[in-house]
Amino acid sequence: MAFTSWSFVALAAGTVLLYYWTPGRWQWLLLLAASVVFYAAGGWGSLCWLAGVIAVTWLAGLALGRLNEARRALPKGDKAALAAVKRKKKAAAAAAALLCFGLLYAMKYWDFTVDLLPASLGGRLPRWDFVMPLGLSFFTFQAVGYVIDVYRDKYAPQKNPARYALFVSFFPQMVQGPIGRYDALAPQLLAARKLDWKDLQFGIQLALWGYLKKMVIADRAAVLVDAVITENTPYGGAVIAFAMVFYCIQLYCDFSGGIDITRGVARMLGIELAVNFRRPLFATSLTDYWRRWHITLGQWMRDYLFYPLSLSKPFARLGKWARKRIGGLPGKIFATSLATFVVYLVIGIWHGANFRYIAFGLWNGTVITASLLLERRFLAWRTALRIDQASVPWRVFMTARTSLLVFLGRYLTRAPRLLTALSLLWTTVSAPRLGQLADGTLLTLGLTAGDLWVVALGALAVTVLEFFQERGVQVRESLSRRSGPLQWLALAAMLAVLAALGIFRAGYISSEFIYGQF
Amino acid sequence: MKPKTWCLAFLLTALGLVLALAAFNYATDPFGAFGDRFLQWFSYDETNNPRVAKTTWLEQHHDAYDSYILGCSSTSSLPVEAFNELFDARFYNLFHYGADMKDCEEIARHLLANYEVKNLVLNVYIDNGVTYDDDANPLTHGLHYRVDEDLSAPAYYARYLLADPRYGLAKLRARAEDTLLPQAFDVFDAATGVYDKTARDAEPIGSLESYLEAYPVFADYPRTGPFGLYQTERCMESVAAIREMCEAAGVNLVVVAGPVYGEYLAQNFAPEDVAAFYEALARVTPFWDFSCSSVSYEPRYFYDATHFRNNVGEMIAARIGGDESVWMPEDFGTYVTAENAAAHFAEVLAAEPAAVPTAQVPILMYHNLAEEADGEATMSVAAFEAQIRALSEAGYTAVSLRELEDYVYRGADLPEKPVVITFDDGYLSNYTLAYPILQKYQMKATIFVIGVSVGKDTYKDTGNPMTPHFSYEQAAEMVASGLISIQSHTYDMHQWPPSEDGDGPFRETILPLPGETEADYVAALTTDFTRSRESLEAATGQSVDALAFPSGAYNTLAQATLTSLGVRVTLSTNPGVNTVVRGLPQTLYGMLRFGMQESISPSEMLTLLSGNR
Amino acid sequence: MREQVIAILTELCPGVDFERETALIDDGLVDSLDIVSIVTELMDAFDVEINVEDLLPENFNSVDAIVGLIERAQG
Repeated sequence: MAFTSWSFVALAAGTVLLYYWTPGRWQWLLLLAASVVFYAAGGWGSLCWLAGVIAVTWLAGLALGRLNEARRALPKGDKAALAAVKRKKKAAAAAAALLCFGLLYAMKYWDFTVDLLPASLGGRLPRWDFVMPLGLSFFTFQAVGYVIDVYRDKYAPQKNPARYALFVSFFPQMVQGPIGRYDALAPQLLAARKLDWKDLQFGIQLALWGYLKKMVIADRAAVLVDAVITENTPYGGAVIAFAMVFYCIQLYCDFSGGIDITRGVARMLGIELAVNFRRPLFATSLTDYWRRWHITLGQWMRDYLFYPLSLSKPFARLGKWARKRIGGLPGKIFATSLATFVVYLVIGIWHGANFRYIAFGLWNGTVITASLLLERRFLAWRTALRIDQASVPWRVFMTARTSLLVFLGRYLTRAPRLLTALSLLWTTVSAPRLGQLADGTLLTLGLTAGDLWVVALGALAVTVLEFFQERGVQVRESLSRRSGPLQWLALAAMLAVLAALGIFRAGYISSEFIYGQF
Repeated sequence: MKPKTWCLAFLLTALGLVLALAAFNYATDPFGAFGDRFLQWFSYDETNNPRVAKTTWLEQHHDAYDSYILGCSSTSSLPVEAFNELFDARFYNLFHYGADMKDCEEIARHLLANYEVKNLVLNVYIDNGVTYDDDANPLTHGLHYRVDEDLSAPAYYARYLLADPRYGLAKLRARAEDTLLPQAFDVFDAATGVYDKTARDAEPIGSLESYLEAYPVFADYPRTGPFGLYQTERCMESVAAIREMCEAAGVNLVVVAGPVYGEYLAQNFAPEDVAAFYEALARVTPFWDFSCSSVSYEPRYFYDATHFRNNVGEMIAARIGGDESVWMPEDFGTYVTAENAAAHFAEVLAAEPAAVPTAQVPILMYHNLAEEADGEATMSVAAFEAQIRALSEAGYTAVSLRELEDYVYRGADLPEKPVVITFDDGYLSNYTLAYPILQKYQMKATIFVIGVSVGKDTYKDTGNPMTPHFSYEQAAEMVASGLISIQSHTYDMHQWPPSEDGDGPFRETILPLPGETEADYVAALTTDFTRSRESLEAATGQSVDALAFPSGAYNTLAQATLTSLGVRVTLSTNPGVNTVVRGLPQTLYGMLRFGMQESISPSEMLTLLSGNR
Repeated sequence: MREQVIAILTELCPGVDFERETALIDDGLVDSLDIVSIVTELMDAFDVEINVEDLLPENFNSVDAIVGLIERAQG
């Protein structure tokens, strides 16, 4: 069920309407029912996989909760018993994580692995032709995060399986996140709520903004991107780069638009979901970019991969070794930097089973790790050049530099194959054929001049709005303080633009949410 | 604004927009989903979605029909009129582009359940073995909810009421650009349900080389396959279901396997698969097989890479009806049953394709004659006689246009070296000077007269002198000889402004006047030609079905209008030798003619006629 | 101990006023990479074990919080 389908709009509207009619203690059950409807619409098969992940992590949570109790009941100083409990906890958490990630691996990466093996071996292995369940990467991470939190005794596990199921399957976030945390999300999902008109208003506004970004800008830009970025594309480097700029616009508007729809629908239900984007366009470094782009994935990776990895025994030993052999600050941060590299590699692989995603991870990891190791040198140069860190030109330069790094990395995620990505990059540099930008070639790529303007002005509108947000303006709050007619005008304008320029038609095969397949 | 007020304002505005969208879609109805109440433009709606729009059309017009033709797009060329005559019925061609056998089954079920049905003609195409129940854009390829058992009425109304408004806008825009001839947006003929091929059927056809140049797809046939006929079983299950429905309802079912272009088969299918497909069909029902014959190897019988022409459809109807007056290749059409299927397909798939018979026919164009040549317009009698004598000595036989028609339509033979001699305008000299010479050499000729100037030697308005023209009596006398045929050069569409009266504009040729609407033009042409034909037929007693375009100028609409008036031969003034093809009336349209002059020596003329320039 | 902690912090994250800041994490002055560098450095300097479970914002928001964390780890 795509966000842009009438059935999703109907499901969301129906849920919101019924939600406030339902008595408080049944409200969470309504959300669960809506979530089941949403997921069942994608086929009963994938509902089974979802149920499997829920069952495994719920049981693991229960077991870990008991072990935590047992640990607390231990007399002080009983080191042997403590060690035994710790061992059991590790086993329970590891088993759950292995099962969940095993499923994820089987669904997403098995065929890729088979292809990598020599034909004599790979040919004998069975292939997996299930359709990958919608949002598998998202809910698996969310559920495994819960298990690790309980393992760390951050909170008590959820005893009621249905309540727990709602936490994993809350329908607005099933397609593409955000990846929620149990302690932040579950209490909100399970609470009884009265209608707050402001939640409804802000929720609608957020969702509407998401639809505008997705249907007016992203779906439109996609047409040109799909026409240009192909194997053996006949176009010159300038047109390719133009299409890649469109792809960056498409990807951000599609993904952040989808998240806005998700958060907007949740907000209508009075639920505040985690923020997933914080204006990545204004990032000053690639590290900063990843703190602003797909934030919940980054945080997940930090808490459940980066921390444990960098504090693990092998990394501690590596750190000791580096301090001795490399010395100085680089020696001190060497192990941490390596762990960072690993995290970005994993983020790359998380995106999909393909060499180009591995290359994407390597690209981000390399740039970021290198900048960490060289940070002091840059700082010294900056001081020597007497550049004012806070000055506008410096800020613009940093942002432009970051955008370029992100832009280059996007060749890897959009091209159909790694080799194509590299050849597209090469063409961009070696054969730009700038003339194609002006000779009407751009108008042969499926979009009219009007469409190009819509994308450009739309991207500009998003940028300007986010610029004010970046400077601390609360857009919706300040809009709600304007006069009534002006507010209505803004509302009517948004709806009219969506109706007139949104690419929506029953038979139009909307480029499914790009992240929905990750 | 309070949040509550805002939410209500949102609800009302959104609802208003949705209602406005629904109202717009209902009013413009670009898919004919709601009966197209206001525009009633089904040829457009059917182009967008034939499945839905044709179902809606039938809801409004089912009384006009009692028989239906089903199948995919090549089925369009099964002509409703010929089938009406054959079965004494009123046919509607219910084909849909891209139709698979599931579509056909559901439509057949819908027809039998709701309407009076006497005959059902089902065309089974080779592609029906390739695709069955494929996913497609529901807006443009979905069935009407009354036909599709899996589609609920609310889902159907939601689909079309909430469709992209650009479809409706496009329809309004197209409305302003609509023409009598079909365009890309209205390719259907609403009343019969077939593709409106008026323009393509009016297009002159000649040599194979020129056809390949105009339609290069045949010169370098695309290989789109290879295709596996994996859906054969499901396809045949649907055919069987249709057969059983018809048996139960007492409906006459005629199954046809329409012509498939030879290279399409050869490039994309394995011959054994093709044989297996048709043999599977034969096990379900006997059928008329036209799939592979010499027709399949003649590109001029096809509009494009896969669609055979309406003319071929006429042959199919004639073959089924046993009408021997219509020519068709010997190997065209076999009634296949489970018993003879294997042998039949083994034979046709191995057969060497036979070339379709064609004739090279040069046409000579004369105007005025005199004792002495006078400029380019008037030729000397001596030169004329020399040319006619040369023709005779070189073994040419002058034929009438009627003989060409018989060759094309009925398969009559032509002499070994045919030539057509024509005179334009109807000058008195044709009677006084040319006629005796033609009699002397027993050469047939056709004279195209301008109705308004028959028997005149002055212009009708100004009284200015003009070259004298022969009279109706003289025309009748020549026709009676059996040598001369009098045909039309329009009644008054060959005006000469210096000597015509009034403010103009003048009709110097058959082309529309600047700014003239299509409807006015068609009416003017129809009136003019009808008058010309009636006066000539009244005078000579010979039917008029040929017209030489004044100054050789014409367009598609003129040709199409004349075709609809029963004109079978039209002639231009472009030079060249005509290639006349059996079964292709278009080879008699816009025929090429060599303009004859004093300066062309008999031997030069013979070189021209031989086609070697 | 407090001075030693500040010295470590200043070396790893120059340009931050550790004496006064009480929201190092919440304000984004110190990020996850810094935290890990700091923790490994602290573990080395004070010979204590700090677990992943301790890597919470509230334990790193101020110098005092960090000192408290070390004291708890020392038992």
